[in-house]
Amino acid sequence: MRMPLPMSRREWFHRSSGGFAATAFAALWNQVVGAADPLAPHAGHFPAHADNIIFIYSTGGVSHVDTFDYKPHLFADHGKKINASRWLNKSGSFERFLIRPRWSFKQYGQSGTWVSDLFPHVGGVVDDLCVLNAMHCESDGHDKATLAAHTGSAQFARPSVGSWVSYGLGTENQNLPSFMVIAPAAPYAGAQTWANDFLPACHQGTHVVPGKEPLPNVKPRVPVIELQKMELDLLGRLNRRHLDQRGADFALDARVRSFETAFGMQREAPEALDLSHETQETMNLYALEPGATSGFGWQCLVARRLVERGVRCVELIDVGSSSNWDSHGNMGDHERLAKAIDQPIAGLITDLKRRGLLERTLVVWTTEFGRTPFHQDPNHAGREHHNLCFSSWMAGGGVRGGMVHGHSDEHGILPSDGLVHTHDLHATMLHLMGIDHERLTYRHAGRDYRLTDVAGRVVREILL
Amino acid sequence: MIRQWISLSVCVVLQCVCVSASPQSDAEYFENHIRPLLVERCQGCHCSSTGKTSGGLALDTRAGWEKGGDSGPAIVPGKPQESLLVKAIHYEEDGPQMPPQEKGGKLSKEQIEAVVEWIRQGAIDPRSMEKTIGGMTANQAERWWAFLPLVKTAVPEADFAGWPRGEIDRFIRLEQEKRGLSPMPDADKRTLVRRVTLDLTGLPPTQEDIAAYLSDESSEAFAKIVDRLLASPEYGVRWGRHWLDVARYADTAGDGADYPVREAGLYRNWVVSAFNSDQPFDDFVREQIAGDILAEQGSIEDYARRVTATGFLAIGKRYGYSPTPAYQHLDFADAIDSIGRSLLGLSIGCARCHDHKYDPISMADYYGLYGILQSTQWSFPGGEEHKRPAHFPGLVIPAEAARLDQQKAEQLASFDADIAKLKQEKASLDGRLCAGGIDLGFESQSLEAPPAAPWLSQGPNKVIADAQSPFSHIHPTGMRGVRMGVGKPNDGVRYVFDQKIRAQPGGHIHFTIDFRTLAEATETGAFRFYLGRGVIESLALECSISSRECAVRDGAAWKVLRKLEPGTWYTLRVSIDSDTKTFSGVVGVTGDLTDFRGCTLPPAWDGVIDTFICDGIGHGDGSTPIHDLDNVGLTQEPFAEPGSGPIVLPLPGVDAKQRIASIDGALWEKTKQREVRSAASAYRVAYGVSEGKPMNARIQKRGEPEQLAEEVPRRYLEIFGGDRLPETSYGSGRLELADWITRRSQHLLARVFVNRVWQWHFGRGLVGTSSDFGSRGEMPTHPELLEWLALKFIESGWSVKSLHRTIVLSRTYQLSSNSVAEMDAIDPENIQLWRYTRRQLDAESIRDSMLSVSGLLNREVLCEHPFPDVTTWGFTIHQPFFAEYESNHRSIYLMVQRNRRHPFLALFDAADPNQSIAQRLPTTTPTQTLYLMNSPFVHQQSDAFAARLLGMSGGDQERVTRAFEMTTGKIPADADRDECLQFVEKYSQSLLERNIAPAHERDLAWAALSRVLMTSNGFLSVD
Repeated sequence: MRMPLPMSRREWFHRSSGGFAATAFAALWNQVVGAADPLAPHAGHFPAHADNIIFIYSTGGVSHVDTFDYKPHLFADHGKKINASRWLNKSGSFERFLIRPRWSFKQYGQSGTWVSDLFPHVGGVVDDLCVLNAMHCESDGHDKATLAAHTGSAQFARPSVGSWVSYGLGTENQNLPSFMVIAPAAPYAGAQTWANDFLPACHQGTHVVPGKEPLPNVKPRVPVIELQKMELDLLGRLNRRHLDQRGADFALDARVRSFETAFGMQREAPEALDLSHETQETMNLYALEPGATSGFGWQCLVARRLVERGVRCVELIDVGSSSNWDSHGNMGDHERLAKAIDQPIAGLITDLKRRGLLERTLVVWTTEFGRTPFHQDPNHAGREHHNLCFSSWMAGGGVRGGMVHGHSDEHGILPSDGLVHTHDLHATMLHLMGIDHERLTYRHAGRDYRLTDVAGRVVREILL
Repeated sequence: MIRQWISLSVCVVLQCVCVSASPQSDAEYFENHIRPLLVERCQGCHCSSTGKTSGGLALDTRAGWEKGGDSGPAIVPGKPQESLLVKAIHYEEDGPQMPPQEKGGKLSKEQIEAVVEWIRQGAIDPRSMEKTIGGMTANQAERWWAFLPLVKTAVPEADFAGWPRGEIDRFIRLEQEKRGLSPMPDADKRTLVRRVTLDLTGLPPTQEDIAAYLSDESSEAFAKIVDRLLASPEYGVRWGRHWLDVARYADTAGDGADYPVREAGLYRNWVVSAFNSDQPFDDFVREQIAGDILAEQGSIEDYARRVTATGFLAIGKRYGYSPTPAYQHLDFADAIDSIGRSLLGLSIGCARCHDHKYDPISMADYYGLYGILQSTQWSFPGGEEHKRPAHFPGLVIPAEAARLDQQKAEQLASFDADIAKLKQEKASLDGRLCAGGIDLGFESQSLEAPPAAPWLSQGPNKVIADAQSPFSHIHPTGMRGVRMGVGKPNDGVRYVFDQKIRAQPGGHIHFTIDFRTLAEATETGAFRFYLGRGVIESLALECSISSRECAVRDGAAWKVLRKLEPGTWYTLRVSIDSDTKTFSGVVGVTGDLTDFRGCTLPPAWDGVIDTFICDGIGHGDGSTPIHDLDNVGLTQEPFAEPGSGPIVLPLPGVDAKQRIASIDGALWEKTKQREVRSAASAYRVAYGVSEGKPMNARIQKRGEPEQLAEEVPRRYLEIFGGDRLPETSYGSGRLELADWITRRSQHLLARVFVNRVWQWHFGRGLVGTSSDFGSRGEMPTHPELLEWLALKFIESGWSVKSLHRTIVLSRTYQLSSNSVAEMDAIDPENIQLWRYTRRQLDAESIRDSMLSVSGLLNREVLCEHPFPDVTTWGFTIHQPFFAEYESNHRSIYLMVQRNRRHPFLALFDAADPNQSIAQRLPTTTPTQTLYLMNSPFVHQQSDAFAARLLGMSGGDQERVTRAFEMTTGKIPADADRDECLQFVEKYSQSLLERNIAPAHERDLAWAALSRVLMTSNGFLSVD
């Protein structure tokens, strides 16, 4: 069950500050143009399966054949020569050697879905997951694939999927941003990955950096909060008189209101990011040490807290553009990276589920691309970029659990059925949120833009 | 929410445009019902342009169905029952049934009805043979309002009861009257002086400015202020920034690694001074397109300035990793799109992958311009694969540049000579360094790994102990060699000598290597030794070795020198005579040596050797055998004879060791000096363009550079005459392009810019879509006024300052921004300008105003950002450049980064530097407000402002008045003033009670008041 939303910022503000902005005009505003507030929650195109999204992104390109796409033949045919159609960004015919995965696979859960030893905890919740084993995207470059996975466009600056959802649905809690990105470091393409681009700026992702000061300027700079209330009270009076002299003006009123929201955020955002009231049992679930203020477990637990508080979209990025899953030299790196996210992700799914939140929360895990099941050197320890076929998964929010959708060929090189393109993934995410991806448009520079450009298909096979 | 209102109005207007653009409802019927149907269901098999015309029938043109197929005309206009096409789609039994089952089968009932109805109405088919350009017919294009020549429009004559102060007011008032709107009264003087000061300089008026204006009761008072502001250097900062939005300015390059561009600021400063000096706008445009060419034709004093102007082209988002053409199509896409939108208000960029869908711009137009850009040498800012800037044009005249280049080359050569001399001495002291070091460093390579730096290796190559050669007459016996596996022909190893070897007259170059193929080798191919300059840049020597024989390239032919046995180590020694371009040598084993002499080197060899390669491109066919290499050497001293060893290297003595240590020190020093000298430009450069190699471009199908279609000549847009380069042209065509833009399309250029200036003054252009004057853009709200202004602008000699004067001295500009319900009901968006539209301060104005009020503003021009030294640049997409530099300069001088935006600028909706921005869309977000409440910057400013206030004479009442006037331009109402005074009192009291900052409670209270005023709507908005 969802926690009751915290009292509204207005309500709280009235009680705590003497209501510096409780003007007749504000009431009028809500009545007349409340619906025009771009962040006010509004309905999508049809009833939604999910209210919130947690989008988990692993930077650098996670190998599919070492994680979720079990290929017995790849083990058996280790060292065999094959002809690959793509190698290091070039198309052609390349004689290459198959390389077996380093980790063995097991079947988990009632569904018997195969998961490698890299993700034993995720294996434990696999009955809630729909694994997509025939993902593909257009680019095998980091920048482009990252942008494509986030914005649908590998080339041009476009709004992030979280911004689109925020634009499409608004958000429930006006004291917190609608789209928050928790990432210790920027992925490839930097802040463009969570940019609003041409959408109104209120839809941009707010970057939370795990650590001592996760949100800039959220901490009052005055010694005691009463002083700030005095300042805001005076400001409210001056602004009110200023407004009274001028007649209705949306922009002036919006600024007045934004002080209320910001004041609410000061209180609510740190509280949402503060884990001190979580039980030890919960902390353990996410593999969190007491007092931790960073790490992927922290990110996952904060994601749950933000969803509980009505934040529409939360994105979690595990690592930045260096020291990530880009294991060209040594696939052994995957072990360290998987260990960092395996238990936290499983903890998140478990925790959402037991709190009744998973039903209405869509969790998506994806990455830039997969990694080649082959190499030019039969003994090479690494794998190269592979965008022709890779794995992702979805859970909760109207997705069928315990299923695998899409398969690759016997060595995990090319998809054989159930292909899901990045555009399809986006179309499906929007669909589950109650949005028709073809109708969610924004007019910019003379034409209508959408997240999925002119493509995208809702993967109905995986819907409940 | 404002944004939503705007987009709503855009949609409404667009619908009108569609209707007016295609006035015939019949044609519309065709477009809506018939054309899509023909494209989707018929033209797959019946299309003249693809050549697929089953049964001889084409349905993609009117002529196609008029002529019909093998059975005669397909359609008889007005007579569906006589039309063969109708019979076919009805699936009548005695004729063809179309579309056939295997192509999706019969059309739906609605579709069939639509076709019948269309034919009944006469089969109106606008796809006549009429010439089309992109998305318009030539006729439509010619008549499109924005492309028509400007004609003198009559100024409305009505007097409007004496209301107008100038022509603008007459145009505006006429439209208002038509709609029953009456203008608001004039704004009061305080409002007006604040409005115009912020508008023209981006800074609030000082108390002195306000006092001077209030006390001047002459009728010229306002005009005097305007002149003063336009003459102030702060004017260029404000209006230059507007242009930088359009010009997509940033201080970094924008590929994944986001390299800093140290010279970007030169262009920014050029723009600021161009506005300040009121450079004629057409000239301003010409210099941005072709400043480098104009510079060579003009005076020396203007040279640097003009070259700098070409930053407009270079400054866009870059995509390349190295200075190669690989990603240039994307750079050019940005440049063409920016030229189109910013100067002509046209989305030319849309014609990159296909003809423009709506406007008269074809792919040939796009690639005509593309050729001009391709014929241009672009500055390369640095990128992942080439981490240094390249090709920046010099800011000195070519003769001087050549002299300085020469000087630099000589200095570098002198460093090289010193370094070579030191190395030579070191080698003479330490025998282990002979012949480029033992095995050219093989001995220091790791075992079981491919040869690492300084070697380059590609393919299955590995350093192993087993590949140690048994020969020891040149190098002492080592521990390892390299084994090269069976790879692709281009696989191999490469060694680049840090010193080029150039044979002295009468001298020789000597080369040696040991090799074998493995005993079990059965492959028939051969591997090759290459010597020459660069990677096959200038080839000197080639030897080819198979498992059975050894050959050298002698002139054009391979000359077999001797038979070989697999498994046996051989040694090869070659002496090259660069005078005669011949070589000689021996190859074999001790006691079995084969001599060769007088073999000819390629005549084209330039006499330099700095690269050794062993790859698989030898004289035999098939895969190369696995082979081992060892003991490579290249010197100007002859090598010892095979069998003369084993060589034992003397270890250097104590004296020699000391000398070597001091040489090492000197080497380090010299190398460092050389690097610094090499990195430093010989003269100042700009981030701009220069002339390249002239060439025409080929059309890229679907915008993909690999899919090339026909070549198109470099030329201007067809709608403006499509001028081509003159026969005599030997340049890129940019000079001509500059002329075409400012002459052939000068009327559109003037319209677009005048409209921008209007937008920057009023918040909305007369054309709402200020970068789109095509058929998808909005129609002008006051077409006659726009024409009048544009023509006046040209007649004034393209003077931007005159344009400002005309606009701000109008009564329309000087109206109150207050609203009344009656007018608001008629025109809520104030399209008719019955009041002045209140505006929120933009990002730069917020920051600059705060700095100005606090007294911390540094008004000097900023020239350089403290970027890291170029010799340290190693940015990659994994480790991109990112920095944020604090400064109290005006915000135009903040370092603008493309990939990770400046936090303040991004937060307050400053222009996104990745594309040409027509209009900023301000938002109000709580994260902005958190910045206003809690950021260190705002607190610094309020602290400084408080200190400034407290340092002024007078009492608290006076202080509050001053604070109000400095921040909002107004004198506080009594209620406001009293509340502020009470606030200071209460706040101080509250601090005292809590014992916070004792003795400073007044400072803190005044800082708090300052903060309130600096974040109040009176400060953040402009009436």
